[in-house]
Amino acid sequence: MRSLLRLVKFALQSVFRNFWLSFVTTSVLLLTLLTVNMLIVLNVLADSTIKSIQDKVQVEVYFNAGTSEEIEKSVHGYLQALPQVKDVAVIPATQSLETFKSLHADDPEVLAALDEVGGNPIGDSLLISANNPDDFEFILAALDSSPEYAPYIKEKNYADHKAVIERLSGFSDKVRLGGLGLAGFFALISVLIVFNTIRVAIYVHRDEIAVMKLVGAPDWFVRGPFLLEAIFYSAAATALMGVGATLILKFLEPQIQSFFAGVDVNLAAYYWENLAIIFGAQFLALSALSMITTLFAMRKYLKT
Amino acid sequence: MITFKNVSKLYKPDTKALDGISFHVRPGEFVSIVGTSGSGKTTLAKLLFAEEKPTGGSIHVGDWDISRIRRSEVPALRRQIGVVFQDYKLLPKKTAYENAAFALEVAGAPASRIREVVPQVLKIVGLADKMHRYPRQLSGGEQQRVSIARALVHRPKIILADEPTGNLDAITSREIVELLKRINDVGTTVILVTHDRDIVNAMRKRVITIQNGKIVSDAEHGKYHLG
Ligand SMILES: Nc1ncnc2c1ncn2[C@@H]1O[C@H](COP(=O)(O)OP(=O)(O)OP(=O)(O)O)[C@@H](O)[C@H]1O
Ligand SMILES: [Mg+2]
Repeated sequence: MRSLLRLVKFALQSVFRNFWLSFVTTSVLLLTLLTVNMLIVLNVLADSTIKSIQDKVQVEVYFNAGTSEEIEKSVHGYLQALPQVKDVAVIPATQSLETFKSLHADDPEVLAALDEVGGNPIGDSLLISANNPDDFEFILAALDSSPEYAPYIKEKNYADHKAVIERLSGFSDKVRLGGLGLAGFFALISVLIVFNTIRVAIYVHRDEIAVMKLVGAPDWFVRGPFLLEAIFYSAAATALMGVGATLILKFLEPQIQSFFAGVDVNLAAYYWENLAIIFGAQFLALSALSMITTLFAMRKYLKT
Repeated sequence: MITFKNVSKLYKPDTKALDGISFHVRPGEFVSIVGTSGSGKTTLAKLLFAEEKPTGGSIHVGDWDISRIRRSEVPALRRQIGVVFQDYKLLPKKTAYENAAFALEVAGAPASRIREVVPQVLKIVGLADKMHRYPRQLSGGEQQRVSIARALVHRPKIILADEPTGNLDAITSREIVELLKRINDVGTTVILVTHDRDIVNAMRKRVITIQNGKIVSDAEHGKYHLG
């Protein structure tokens, strides 16, 4: 305990004796954490956006006009019985027509064709929501492949949503990959900077180290302060990141919310709920990185 | 206390610094090791506090076989051997008191022990009234006293001094040697490496003379007899 306090004292002396170097080191570690947190934010945003789109996805199945109620009921029942289906609502023909028209509002050919036919060529429709949006494919395939029902079905609108989701997750995957590369780049810079800082610290303390060895200080006492120094930098960077993230989220949350209108983002809540894990993990990872770097620096410059 | 058996030390590529050195030092002895420049005195001292490893032969200090000592045991050995050098090796930003205290601090001694021992050793070396001065505020002789005080804080069984008077004038040198003698009088084994003829001759203690890495004489109440 006594020795630990002395180690802490020596380590703090080292930190403050080379204040600018310590400042730069902490800043670079902070930048690394910043990229990591940007990645986390991106993940949360992408996930909640995709999820909210997925939640809204419903598939409409239009019957041919004049399809008997019996068949409609039986399709309804068939769908309802599938475990992948959450809910099926029946929409009467008149309402279906409206929906169909508005869906094709920018497609004059379809509208013209509707007019030509006159009356309501569309029958009733079913509005299906699934437990998992990935299951729509299966549900629609089930309909298509059942010969009793397929002939009565005029149209299904689903493909568009699927494309949007695919494009979005493709895009977010790309950004994620880029962010990961950036984080890796900053981690590499961190390693170099920490290595140099510890090298300088060893150089600055060379006389003390020589005397320590001469008077019989145990090895861990000679090395301890440098490892502690690495931990201090990691702790400082993590603490700054934590405070910074809190402030940024406080100020930007309303903007983010309004930008993603209708999407339940709640980034701040995500951070608050996972505060200990997010920053604990960042601190541990950063400490491990800088301590391993320090061990290498000591191996090179702290010869016995 | 200290036994060298047929010790040799080869520096790469081809310097034979020590060649078949054998001697024994009893507890409480005062031994001077003399020789011309380059004869291997410092090398011998370095072997003794495990700064270097012998190429051949064995060295025993107390219960330790330091020719086979493990790295982790070296600190404990060094707390048994207080070392003093020509260039003092004091930390300039620490006072005399802090320099002596440092040796105890880094070995994990309790603060109460530091407060007790440090003033004691500073008194032994005659610096009780100057213990809060920085090295630059002290004369060379006084600085060497601080380094001796630091060597004493662990109450070592052995004091090893390599040319402790090398940077000091004749009168100051004599005072430092007198101090080492007084430390020896209370039971500490002292190994003094020097090439100061006057000091050795005035001492009338055991003298080991080395030349070209070999012992050429080992005499009780010896004299310095080299060109
Ligand atoms: N680290 C080393 N590498 C190679 N050769 C060395 C090394 N240290 C000492 N030597 C050589 O070993 C020999 C003995 O050196 P040593 O320092 O023991 O002499 P010394 O008796 O202490 O001399 P001085 O009185 O000048 O201090 C010399 O020839 C020296 O050049
Ligand atoms: Mg020498």
